Amino acid sequence: MARHEYPWKRRPGWWLRNPRYLAFQLREAGGVVCALYGLLLLNLLMQLREGESTYVAFLTMLRTPPVLYLNGVLFGLVLWHAISWFMLIGKAQPVQLTRKPLPWKAVFGINVVLWLGVSGAVVYLIFGGI
Amino acid sequence: MAEQDVVFRVTRYRPVPGGRPTFQDYRLPFRNDMVVLDGLNYIKDHLDPTLTFRWSCRMGICGSCGANINGQPSLTCETFIRDVSRGVVTVEPLSNFPILKDLVVDFDDFLNKLASVKPYIVRKDWGDWTKEYTQYPEDLEAYRQQSLCINCMLCYAACPVVGTSPEFIGPAASALALRYIRDSRDEGADARLARLNTKNGVWECTFVGECSVVCPKDVDPAAAIQTLKVLATMRHLRRLLMPASR
Amino acid sequence: MERTTHDIVVVGGGAAGLRAAIAAAEADPDLTIALVSKVYPMRSHTVSAEGGTAAVLRDYDSFELHALDTIKGSDFLADQDAVEFFVARCPEEIIRLEHWGCPWSRDPDGRVSQRAFGGMSVKRTVYAADKVGFHILHTLFQTSMKYPQIHRFDESFVTSLIVDGGACTGVVAMDLRSGSMVAIAAKATILATGGCGRVYEFTTNGFIKTGDGMALAYRAGVPLKDMEMVQFHPTCLPGTGILITEAARGEGGYLINKDGERYMQRYLPGKMELGPRDILSRAMIEEIKAGRAFEGPYGPYLGLDLRHLGAKKINERIPMVRELVEKYMGLDPIHEPIPVRPGQHYMMGGVSTNMKGETSLPGLYAVGETACVSINGANRLGSNSLSECLVFGTATGLAAAGFAKRRPSYPRGAAAREALRKEEARVFDGLLGRERGKETLAGIRVEMQQLMERDVGIFRDESGLADACANLAKLRDRFGAVGLADKDRVFNTELTGVLELDLMLDVAATIAHSARERRESRGAHSRTDHPQRDDANYLKHTLAFRTDGAPRIDYAPVTITKWQPAERKY
Repeated sequence: MARHEYPWKRRPGWWLRNPRYLAFQLREAGGVVCALYGLLLLNLLMQLREGESTYVAFLTMLRTPPVLYLNGVLFGLVLWHAISWFMLIGKAQPVQLTRKPLPWKAVFGINVVLWLGVSGAVVYLIFGGI
Repeated sequence: MAEQDVVFRVTRYRPVPGGRPTFQDYRLPFRNDMVVLDGLNYIKDHLDPTLTFRWSCRMGICGSCGANINGQPSLTCETFIRDVSRGVVTVEPLSNFPILKDLVVDFDDFLNKLASVKPYIVRKDWGDWTKEYTQYPEDLEAYRQQSLCINCMLCYAACPVVGTSPEFIGPAASALALRYIRDSRDEGADARLARLNTKNGVWECTFVGECSVVCPKDVDPAAAIQTLKVLATMRHLRRLLMPASR
Repeated sequence: MERTTHDIVVVGGGAAGLRAAIAAAEADPDLTIALVSKVYPMRSHTVSAEGGTAAVLRDYDSFELHALDTIKGSDFLADQDAVEFFVARCPEEIIRLEHWGCPWSRDPDGRVSQRAFGGMSVKRTVYAADKVGFHILHTLFQTSMKYPQIHRFDESFVTSLIVDGGACTGVVAMDLRSGSMVAIAAKATILATGGCGRVYEFTTNGFIKTGDGMALAYRAGVPLKDMEMVQFHPTCLPGTGILITEAARGEGGYLINKDGERYMQRYLPGKMELGPRDILSRAMIEEIKAGRAFEGPYGPYLGLDLRHLGAKKINERIPMVRELVEKYMGLDPIHEPIPVRPGQHYMMGGVSTNMKGETSLPGLYAVGETACVSINGANRLGSNSLSECLVFGTATGLAAAGFAKRRPSYPRGAAAREALRKEEARVFDGLLGRERGKETLAGIRVEMQQLMERDVGIFRDESGLADACANLAKLRDRFGAVGLADKDRVFNTELTGVLELDLMLDVAATIAHSARERRESRGAHSRTDHPQRDDANYLKHTLAFRTDGAPRIDYAPVTITKWQPAERKY
């Protein structure tokens, strides 16, 4: 007698039915957004090379409300990507100074402090000036 | 005398004639200390003897009774109805596995994956068979957590990668590989890491982390896989940079 | 695939079956070994054993002492030559498992730890936190993957032995996943299917413990020995029957009644909570009868008090006890006593074998809880069972391997074909074809379990046992009217349930009849109408043989070597 197994089929929207799956998908999407933002910055440099008028036109376009709102959303995704990866680093790369590796919460905390520190330095460089 | 009733919505699938799985509703009396398995047994004994599911120990140690309860991979013998019921409890077979009949799935694939990581002590010289190898409590602690895996497959059901890439070695097999690698008595790390350092080895894992969330024994397979990624990479670099050490 | 031939077929994939298969594989790499189990091996009930496994490993211990403890624990019904054979081989089995990776708990100096246990004069119980069965089973199962000559037949239910020319030449099994029968011919057959706790209503045993191997041997004419010796474990959770390991008492736990009193001082002031299980279970029933027990939704119970052990010891030595009690009783044993009551746990009795696992049918072996050698006699000491599975698993595997090697020719194909046809007719045309009528599987099963609980429990008497024998015969008749609703052949657990009930009714009858004919009290077998031990008439093993009617009871002598039966005082 042949076996009639029913192959498992994934239901569309599977990642909406579980908050942790959703968090994962957003984290991964955040990674894509980071890459795209890098391309945008590259494009900004290219616009700068084209000349002042094209550069200024590009910046004006970036300041329009739809683009600003979009940037807000994308910034949120990038933030979530960074925070969720900081939460995983403790497990992905265990730092073992004593018998047991450092608990992930400690690694998370250290990374957040470093991140805020570096971000603060960058903000100071751009707006505070040297 | 039932305080109240509860409805179980259970997947039904008959291998002959085949077709597609459907749901069947059963109304049964509910006591506050019932687990989902008690409900399934009530259905089989009193309402519908054709309902088919696996179970044995009823104390969460044999790993037979995995199912998706309200969408969450769980052990039916450990899940209390009072914790998951809003009048209806949906019981489906574990995700990511082919269905044999009703709640029974086919997981022979896992046993092949387990065998492929050599889940036993590998040694060249077994030494004295009249005296135990010395192993200190801290050595035991190094692999104790991964040794608790009961092979219940909840982690495979929870992992989205297993769903799309069925050849992915998966959480439990990886955790058990790490259990033996970290056992101070074992010498087989090299062969296991070679097996794991492949595309359908640990590198398919994108660290969703759901496997560790659903594990009933706190094995933390997600952390095990990330550790294996580090170990596999270090081994690879060693072999590349110091070919003499192979 | 309808038929297949191997050198050895092992039925049952628990500690005893796996150990036997590995021993045979190591004895001769040319032998092919079929491992047939109705569940995947890591689901076998070995997995739920908690406390530990005994062996003489230290200078403060000796084989003499382990043997004496075991024989005294058995109320002098154990065969002393078998016990001497057993205790001498426990240490090498523990070391072998350790080398194979079993995570025994360790002392600070790196040596294997041992703890105190009921009925043992010294600390000789090797443990792995409180999951010894889980770790032993997974170590053996994973180690068995090293041997390509062990072919597994997972989820295959053995429905009958193949008997040809006065010998056992294999088994007929139903492959659950394909729904078809297969005949597995073999030169040697080893039964390692565990005990039969599910004939009782309140048991620590899992669903699969239905005495399959015992009944299969019985039906082939092999006697079942000492079936009346049923062990009731004192500390089970009310309602579920989940086992709370003896190790909780080994680590220092107290048993208290509703007045907070350590009541064991009334029954066994010498050993208190670490007395043998039969004495403790009886003491609990006495406390309940005297009105000193707590009352709960599942009846009366006593308390297992671990509060004085402290959180650290509990979490280190018996963590699973804490998990189970929190999950299933909703209380934390660090702060509250655990409700416990006695429940069926183990069968000292089983298929009659010698020290090599040989039965009276050539080619048929039995080992583990399925078998009765006997080293446990009328009462088993905790932590001797897993050691028994290992020691006799090895001995039986080696014996079967030797037997298979000495036979040049494989069993007759015709006998296997004929047995296969017969079983297909009996199971598919006969049982599966029956329509549902008045009687149901669940109905008959529950009645059997309730009457066993009531009349063949901890305390027995003539009228109760006579009732049990008569009622079991009636249930056997009524079983003929049980029909099936599930007509599929594939993974039909209603059909396997009916097959198991069929086997259980046979086994239950041997328990009831053996108990009725033993008119004395010894070890776990307590008769209120014959409360004394009677060595003059009953220092012998009960043998139950199958007939067309009630089991025929006969007797066999107990082998006494060094230890003369004395009063069993602790």
